[in-house]
Amino acid sequence: MSYVIAIPLLPAIAFAVLGPLSNRARNKAVWVSVAAVASALVLSLIAFVQVWPGGHEGEAAYHASVTFASIGSVYLGVGVLLDSVSAVMLVVVTLVATAVMVYSLGYMHRDARIGWYYAVLSLFTAAMLMLVVSDNFLQLYMAWEVMGLCSYLLIGFWHEQVAPRKASLKAFLTTRVGDVGFAIGLAVMYATAGSFDFAVVLHDFQWAPATATAVALLLLFGAMGKSAQVPLHVWLPDAMAGPTPASALIHAATMVAAGVFLVARALPIFEASGIALTITMVIGVVTALLGGLLAAVQHDIKKVLAYSTISQLGYMFVALGAGGLVAGFYHLVTHAFFKSLLFLGAGVIIHAAHTQDMREMGGLAKKMPVTTVTFTIGSLALAGIFPFSGFWSKDEILTVLWHGEHYIVFALALAAAFVTAVYVARLWFRVFTGPEQTSELKEAHIEMLVPMGVLAAISAVIGFGSPYFAQFLGHEGQWPDAAIALTSTAVAGLGLALGWWVYGRRTRVINTRPLKQRFAVVYDALSLKLYFDLTYDYFIVKQFSRLAGALATFDRVVVDGIVNGAGAVWRAGAEVGSLLDIHVIDGAVNGTATIVKAAGARVRRLQVGRIQAYQGLMVGALVLLMLWFVVKGA
Amino acid sequence: MTLLQPVGALSFMTLAAVLFSLGLYGALSRKSTVMVLMSLELMANAININLVALSRFSAPAEMTGQIFAVFSMVVSAAEIGLGLALVLALYRQRKTVEVDAMQELKG
Amino acid sequence: MTDTVSGVAFLALSFATIGGAVMMLATRNVVHAAFWLLEVMLATAGIYLLLSAEFLALVQVLVYAGSVAVLLLFTIMLTLRRREDAVRDFEPGWGSVVIVALFGGSLLFAIQRFGAQMRPGTMPETVPDVAAFGETLFTQWAVPFEIASLVLLVALVGAVWWSGGDGS
Repeated sequence: MSYVIAIPLLPAIAFAVLGPLSNRARNKAVWVSVAAVASALVLSLIAFVQVWPGGHEGEAAYHASVTFASIGSVYLGVGVLLDSVSAVMLVVVTLVATAVMVYSLGYMHRDARIGWYYAVLSLFTAAMLMLVVSDNFLQLYMAWEVMGLCSYLLIGFWHEQVAPRKASLKAFLTTRVGDVGFAIGLAVMYATAGSFDFAVVLHDFQWAPATATAVALLLLFGAMGKSAQVPLHVWLPDAMAGPTPASALIHAATMVAAGVFLVARALPIFEASGIALTITMVIGVVTALLGGLLAAVQHDIKKVLAYSTISQLGYMFVALGAGGLVAGFYHLVTHAFFKSLLFLGAGVIIHAAHTQDMREMGGLAKKMPVTTVTFTIGSLALAGIFPFSGFWSKDEILTVLWHGEHYIVFALALAAAFVTAVYVARLWFRVFTGPEQTSELKEAHIEMLVPMGVLAAISAVIGFGSPYFAQFLGHEGQWPDAAIALTSTAVAGLGLALGWWVYGRRTRVINTRPLKQRFAVVYDALSLKLYFDLTYDYFIVKQFSRLAGALATFDRVVVDGIVNGAGAVWRAGAEVGSLLDIHVIDGAVNGTATIVKAAGARVRRLQVGRIQAYQGLMVGALVLLMLWFVVKGA
Repeated sequence: MTLLQPVGALSFMTLAAVLFSLGLYGALSRKSTVMVLMSLELMANAININLVALSRFSAPAEMTGQIFAVFSMVVSAAEIGLGLALVLALYRQRKTVEVDAMQELKG
Repeated sequence: MTDTVSGVAFLALSFATIGGAVMMLATRNVVHAAFWLLEVMLATAGIYLLLSAEFLALVQVLVYAGSVAVLLLFTIMLTLRRREDAVRDFEPGWGSVVIVALFGGSLLFAIQRFGAQMRPGTMPETVPDVAAFGETLFTQWAVPFEIASLVLLVALVGAVWWSGGDGS
């Protein structure tokens, strides 16, 4: 099964081919990366079929590794590990990546730098696949950082404008905060377990609770940065400044889920610690709730989806924190499909309406039937309505919480589900019903609609596979518990009803102003993103620039002083030397100089003053010398 | 297959020779001082490859080549630092980074 | 198997090195050229890994790919007044092409010619590790090492003096 190695390599090769080309040639060669990712999809499907009927994670269906460096007794290797978890992830990533790449053919076709866009997208896909199949934490970390770079490049893709530039920096720096935690965690892991290999770290090594807690929390911190968990979530809404299909792939389906994947992989360490699981759960539920609330007050359609992503990622963390690997991982899979579908739909809507502000949209249902149907399926899946995929995975998470007797978290998760339904209804009614705001609405190109249709079909039916999914991962699978399913459906239904009552009941003339005024404090807090950005700006960014100012002063006064002092001493020495020079040496030299001057007058014609001419002369002489040696030596 | 034969010292020397020639070409032909400095780095790099490779193949236990390569890296780091400082000084004086702007020593 | 792996790795890395060098000289944009130089340096680090010189590979990444590339980019940034200044006309320099072709040709010829006198090209299996390297560096080569650090210090001060302010 060595073809598994080709899955991450194919997109990497596409990047290596596209990267060096000129801009114009690259724009014509985008099919290279589409073809590479599509072939990776085919190979992933084959791998998936071969791994069937699955097994416990860590039970490798295929494993190969090669050592590329040994520093002392440290062996650094890259490896490919194919087990049930990575097989599922391979299919999800390649499927969404293929859909996004085909979609982008239509979405980006007028952009002058579409080739670069595809090159970075290929590099990203390669890194994500590399992360999925890696068999050790170090390789995972490398792929993780490459993804961070691609995310930075794609958020700032339109770097002519200010907002994307700032957003890309913010995203890079915020995730970097988490990555530092990750890196320290890796160091601690290596210091205790003596290895980075999954097999050693996760299965063979016996973790002491204290070190396990330290490592788990540091890894969790890295995951929080990448997966935009409170309080490191601030970058994700701003990241929406990038191209929408890139947001669909990176900031909805795959990269942000990498944090969840990391925690899922490292779950044995979390379990050895115990307390780390609880912390994961708390962070997850806080994020789920806050993300949902913030999504409910945004007006930008992409930001609604971004906060929704944050909230759903929180859901996955809750599941993992409750020990529900299957539930959390299953939600990752379903979320990847329906959220990328929603983002692709949002891209079509933005193209058609020429705005991202939902207040200026309306009545799209009549003119854009395909988009409406697919977007509705995505919305219902997100809200958790039977029989769409979100219902099943959300239900599994709730079941895990209920059986684990985490009743408070269960209640909060239900509340988050309710808020989710409210903002989904708000989004849907604002965009698709009501009077038309722009006149020239028309349906998108076929290459944009087909991927959306495929993703919508998957989102609609994948839920029925939920017990088989658990079996594939080597756990016991069962259909959802009727009572919990009914409760969650009722809550979601209530949320949708409330959303309809406020936003969809009569056409367009609903006035939410009294509501806003009555709860002014809450609304202001929410619309200022709960003060996270302001706090960071005040306590971190401002303090940093103050520190930088202080350092600059230090530099000017102290360091420059030292350097200037050294220079002054040197010059004083030189002056002494020059005195000596003038009085003693010059006399002796002057005589010689007369002779040299006469000679120089003849040689000066050689000195044209061009350095490179001298250099060429030198090399030419050297060549002659070399030729002589070669010939003589023969 | 000849392509997949074990890699010998000659392969590394050939690589280094090609790299050195490319660097030399850049150093001789570029008009921008920065480009010339980059080409010098290319040449230094080729030398280092040769040092490491030959030491690896002939006397791996002593590691003289590796140690030498470390010193060579130190020197070329110092060189690029000074070179770039020179470029900055040149730019401040002449508002240009062309190599040909430095013709003071013309006879 | 390992021979095949290292053979393929060598081919890929030399392609990356030489290709990067060619691209560095072919591109008209100085900024792109700096990035291609960075790529060459990283590929060279890979070649050091092939030669089991792990310490040098790390130093290469830190010094060249890290600081030298940043230094170059800063200088380019400081000496460009406009964005368009980064793009220059291509300068083939035919005279240097001839000289370099002669030079490289005689070099390759010499390698072919005298290569036969060398010991056959098999890589010795055992290599001393980083610990042994450190020991040699700090015992046998301690004095040159200190001199090298002095060189760096002088170069640092000199660079600051030279480029700093209007300091004359």
